[in-house]
Amino acid sequence: MNIKSGSFNLVFGESGCGKSTLFRLCKREISPNGKRSGNILYKGTDISILEPKISACKIGFVGQKPDEQIVTDKVWHELAFGLENSGLKNTEIKSRVAEMSSYFGINEWYHKNTDELSGGQKQILNLASVMVMQPDILILDEPTSQLDPIAASNFIEALKKLNYDFGLTILIAEHRLEEIFPVADNAFAMENGRIIFSGNPKNVCEKLKGNNLEMSLPTPSRVWSSLEVNCECPLTVRDGRNFLRENFPDKFGREISVKNEHGSSESKNNTAIEADGIFFRYGKKLPDILENMSLTVNKGEIFSILGGNGCGKTTTLNILSGIDIPYKGCIKILGKKINSYKNNSLYRNTLAYLPQNPMSVFIKTSVREDLADILNVLDIPKNEQSYHITDISQKVGISDFLGRHPYDLSGGEIQKCAIAKILLTNPQIMLLDEPTKGMDAFYKNTLLTIMKALKNEGKTILMVTHDIEFAAEASDRCALFFDGGIVSYGVPNEFFSGNSFYTTSAGRMSRDFFKNAVLCSEIVRLCGG
Amino acid sequence: MKAFAKIHPFVLMIYFLTIVTVSMFVSNPVIKLLSLAGAFLFSFMLTDKKEKLEDIKFYLPLALLIAVTNPLFSHNGETPLFFMNGNAVTLEAVFYGIDISVMIISVMLWFKSCNIIMSSDKLIYLFGRIMPKTALIISMAIRFIPMLKRRINEVSRAQKTMGLYSVQSYTDRLHSLVRVISAVIGWSLEGAVETSRSMKSRGYALKGHTCYSDYKFTGKDTAILSVFISLTALAFWGTSGGCLRFYFYPVISELNTDFRAVVTYSAFGVLAFFPFLFEVEENIRWTYYRSKISALRTQEQKSRL
Repeated sequence: MNIKSGSFNLVFGESGCGKSTLFRLCKREISPNGKRSGNILYKGTDISILEPKISACKIGFVGQKPDEQIVTDKVWHELAFGLENSGLKNTEIKSRVAEMSSYFGINEWYHKNTDELSGGQKQILNLASVMVMQPDILILDEPTSQLDPIAASNFIEALKKLNYDFGLTILIAEHRLEEIFPVADNAFAMENGRIIFSGNPKNVCEKLKGNNLEMSLPTPSRVWSSLEVNCECPLTVRDGRNFLRENFPDKFGREISVKNEHGSSESKNNTAIEADGIFFRYGKKLPDILENMSLTVNKGEIFSILGGNGCGKTTTLNILSGIDIPYKGCIKILGKKINSYKNNSLYRNTLAYLPQNPMSVFIKTSVREDLADILNVLDIPKNEQSYHITDISQKVGISDFLGRHPYDLSGGEIQKCAIAKILLTNPQIMLLDEPTKGMDAFYKNTLLTIMKALKNEGKTILMVTHDIEFAAEASDRCALFFDGGIVSYGVPNEFFSGNSFYTTSAGRMSRDFFKNAVLCSEIVRLCGG
Repeated sequence: MKAFAKIHPFVLMIYFLTIVTVSMFVSNPVIKLLSLAGAFLFSFMLTDKKEKLEDIKFYLPLALLIAVTNPLFSHNGETPLFFMNGNAVTLEAVFYGIDISVMIISVMLWFKSCNIIMSSDKLIYLFGRIMPKTALIISMAIRFIPMLKRRINEVSRAQKTMGLYSVQSYTDRLHSLVRVISAVIGWSLEGAVETSRSMKSRGYALKGHTCYSDYKFTGKDTAILSVFISLTALAFWGTSGGCLRFYFYPVISELNTDFRAVVTYSAFGVLAFFPFLFEVEENIRWTYYRSKISALRTQEQKSRL
């Protein structure tokens, strides 16, 4: 692998394919222990004999977790940390910190405590506090995996700018390729610890045809590779639209028929969750988070709530799961008022809630112990426990991780284990908060399969997500949350084709050409035959 | 931010050290009363209405309690006021009680103001000059606590929805809470590995650390510091001859009011009222500056017309 100075390089591949290990090997201070063969050279010098100062300053590293990378309690101190270590004088630190914080727009929160920042701000801070050391190359290991899409795209914008403005060499590993793929100069596809394809992103797309990794490519490229057309591979929505315009003008005007189910199925005993006129605020003097929020979810459907940051989506889940109590309004779970469920009976065989951070579900030292723990809470006798555990782990596909410590698992793996744990309570209704956060395309696919299987068993799933593509693929109905309540409902095809910004890339790509097409597979279907 | 807080941390530290030491160890009622008055006025400037009310509700009964306790238990002194359960409650003991109460309350109020003025940054800055690594550890610890709190809350909520707090018995819930806390600590220690990586990758292992700070020692700071030092020196000169000596037992001694004592009282008085006066002066100045801001604006508007 050869990285040219000033280039933007992207490494992608399935979780656990060795991206992180490779990246950490490139940064001497944090290289993992083990047997290593081969050399890593920085400007012709092997990194193991680089001067400590050059190694620390010139090779910058930003990791996955926004919270854990922050060292000090104040933003300004965090920015100065690396410079203090390299022994710069006060005046010099001041001017470098000042220049970086104005470059990244940190001025407004310069004096804040690091704990008060949002996840996106934390990650920008991590980037800025590496950038003050004036590195030549920046290594980023899935920096946006814990961020919501808006914060993630801001972060990627910042990287693009750094690359364009300063010619900074960037080496990044990412799951979300939609935005970053078109920007990259070089793409490296990794599989099982080796680089299988590398080169210009377009060429890599062409080479990946038929490979498993194809799933993670941007929508336009996926459409292109499913349709056998002899032309250049489109990477952006703009190229994708041109591609459709040039190759399939005769197919325009076709549409996906939308089954309009609601109306008929809204009989009373068919609703799983019913919330009516909910008002909620976190403190007496704070503003209303939820204002006259009403919501009905039918039994056996997958329902997604979409919406911006901090608009009250998670609060809605907290209220529906009985953790927070609204000051006005009525909630019915399976037709029964929520406060008539006494003594945790709500959480047994009725409702389960998967919080945003799946880590918070685990309190034991191995996944198996944690699963056994929940069975203990449910008073299931010891001799039946192992049967339940084996059964659920086969269903969700976590048999391999049962003995592992929850902290050692990757984002996607731990999410599956968390789902397994809450499934053991045998819930009728599942509330999921951002289930696809930090997951790569393969895990999303598995999650989709699991969710569909649960649906077929008659379970109801209500999820809150930023992931528009996943919501379009998975849900029966979607809703847009805004200003304390739900503003619009709809079947995904209708819902997303009605929006022009808040829609999938497939929706944006096929807008005006096809009616109601919001998925990659739908475009392919309409173009073919 | 308060004007007084903008003074250089080193000067502030000297100030608070001096004032608290003098209030605690010089046993002279005038000094103590001056200190109380200064502490009270200044701490009142730092708090809002609601806090002021709460402060009064807290400090007044406390002061009374301390003042009353002494004469009830100490029966020294020569002037009995009345007898209680066969023990004399003396005038001297009553005054000594009041004296202690004034001292304790004034020191508490000084600490309260000090707490508001000396933010963690300032302490870390002062520490960092002597012990850079310790200062860093303190800074990390300060960051760690709110994070731990947030996570405990997060995990216990998640566990609640899985029926962890199952029975409504107290011990059971306590047991669950202990499990949550131990899990969170494990989780945070795991995170600490990542933190140490982030530290290493930003050159923590390099030699020759410096300690960055935003504080500049300005001319104003020098002036203020020299005022402090000369006032303190003056007060020390006064006390050195034992002219401020004052005692309650067996009979309350007379208050010294000769020239030397008066100079000392006034020097200490200025020192004790300094933060309050400084704050008032800066407020007036700010009002004046602000009036200029609006004046400029109207001028501009006029010229536009």
